[in-house]
Amino acid sequence: MEPLENAIEVQHLGKAFGMLKAVNGISFELKQGAFLTIFGPNGAGKTTLIKILSGLTQPTTGTAKVAGFDVAEGHPEMRKEIGVISHATALYADLTPLENLMFFARMHGLDQPNDRALKAIDEVGLSPRRNDRIRTFSRGMLQRLSIARAVLHDPAILFLDEPFTGLDLHATNVLKGHLQKLHDRRRTILMTTHDIPCGLEMCDKVALQVQGKFAFLENIADVDQGQFESMYFDAVRDNQFAMGL
Amino acid sequence: MNLYLNQIAAIVWKDFVTELKTRELLSAMFIFALLVILIFIFSINLSIVKASEVGPGILWVAFLFAGTIGLNRSFMLEKENDCLMGLMLVPADRTAIYFGKLISNLIFLSIMELFILPLFMIFFNIDLLPHLGPLLVVIFLGTLGFCALGTLLSSLSSNLKTREIMLPILLYPLLIPIIIGVVRMTGQILDGTELFDMMKWIGLTASFDIIYIGVSIMTIDHILEE
Repeated sequence: MEPLENAIEVQHLGKAFGMLKAVNGISFELKQGAFLTIFGPNGAGKTTLIKILSGLTQPTTGTAKVAGFDVAEGHPEMRKEIGVISHATALYADLTPLENLMFFARMHGLDQPNDRALKAIDEVGLSPRRNDRIRTFSRGMLQRLSIARAVLHDPAILFLDEPFTGLDLHATNVLKGHLQKLHDRRRTILMTTHDIPCGLEMCDKVALQVQGKFAFLENIADVDQGQFESMYFDAVRDNQFAMGL
Repeated sequence: MNLYLNQIAAIVWKDFVTELKTRELLSAMFIFALLVILIFIFSINLSIVKASEVGPGILWVAFLFAGTIGLNRSFMLEKENDCLMGLMLVPADRTAIYFGKLISNLIFLSIMELFILPLFMIFFNIDLLPHLGPLLVVIFLGTLGFCALGTLLSSLSSNLKTREIMLPILLYPLLIPIIIGVVRMTGQILDGTELFDMMKWIGLTASFDIIYIGVSIMTIDHILEE
């Protein structure tokens, strides 16, 4: 595939659920190999934005191009270029890691699915447990396997929806290590998180999403962490007030 | 085309490996079907009514009720851990997902039916062996239609909180043409009628099978999308 300058291009993107505008006129561009972290209070529309960009749901207004494909067209070729990690692992609880990844490798049409699955399991350090049912796995192990599933087909673009949720310190560090490796390999990454130190540490660009809009979008070099933190906490407080919590 | 078939085969393989490990689906369907037949056996007097008259209806009630359990379970498997999202993210045509699930359901239901048939023979004291060929054709036609529509509707109802209730409410009324066809044909087969003499019923059932598969192909894209 011809390399594109922008991996992601979003113009006035919107998604409404009845009267509620979950995503409300977001525009941004992300170059190949860039890492954007999006912060925002609960209900800000971060997950909806990732769902739109990964083709899981249709936008109501605006356009978005991912890897050069219009997300509204739902082109299968676009899905070859993206990997998604969310709160849910999207893994079959009664299958082993090897069976799970072999299944997804076959669904992606990869050659030698068994070898690809074994390699991916090895990369996330789960080889000793590759033949155990994943129902017995901890949250951290599941999240590592979820990363293996998402990068099995070596996608150019990764969407991560709060990947650190429920992870202990060790699992968080393991995940950060994987993300750093992917970033070093010039994979484009868009991540949402509530973990400010983690999110700011790895990204090139940072955004704050509030009530469906980007209230802030800057290169990380231009961001003062202290100021950003206070802006984030103000947004969370105002959001709770608006929601009547 | 090769990738498309490989994706269908992968879904069937995944469902089989899961069932081999859990043994939840086939055992639940079999026990439920057996219970339905036993309840009817105890409630009717076979010395008064002719088994070949009441038997087909009871057999198909057992198949359909037990099959509904299977259909409900089919997409529940995809909802756990949001596996359906994982399926939606692979570069597969949505119809490949539909056909994969349809074939899995068809095979599981057929296995359950093959176990139930000998028990039906014993309980109703009907010799099915001379009619086995035509009977299997009719059972296949009925099961195909049931699975074709059931797979579509179970994917639709899997997003609902009341999915266990909604699936039969949506499914059974739409299945009436097929149910009438297969019950009539099963009764006629037990009375010794040849398959060639039931071409109208076969045509009706096969037509609805094709209609349900066609409608599913046209709508599955929208149904699977949130």
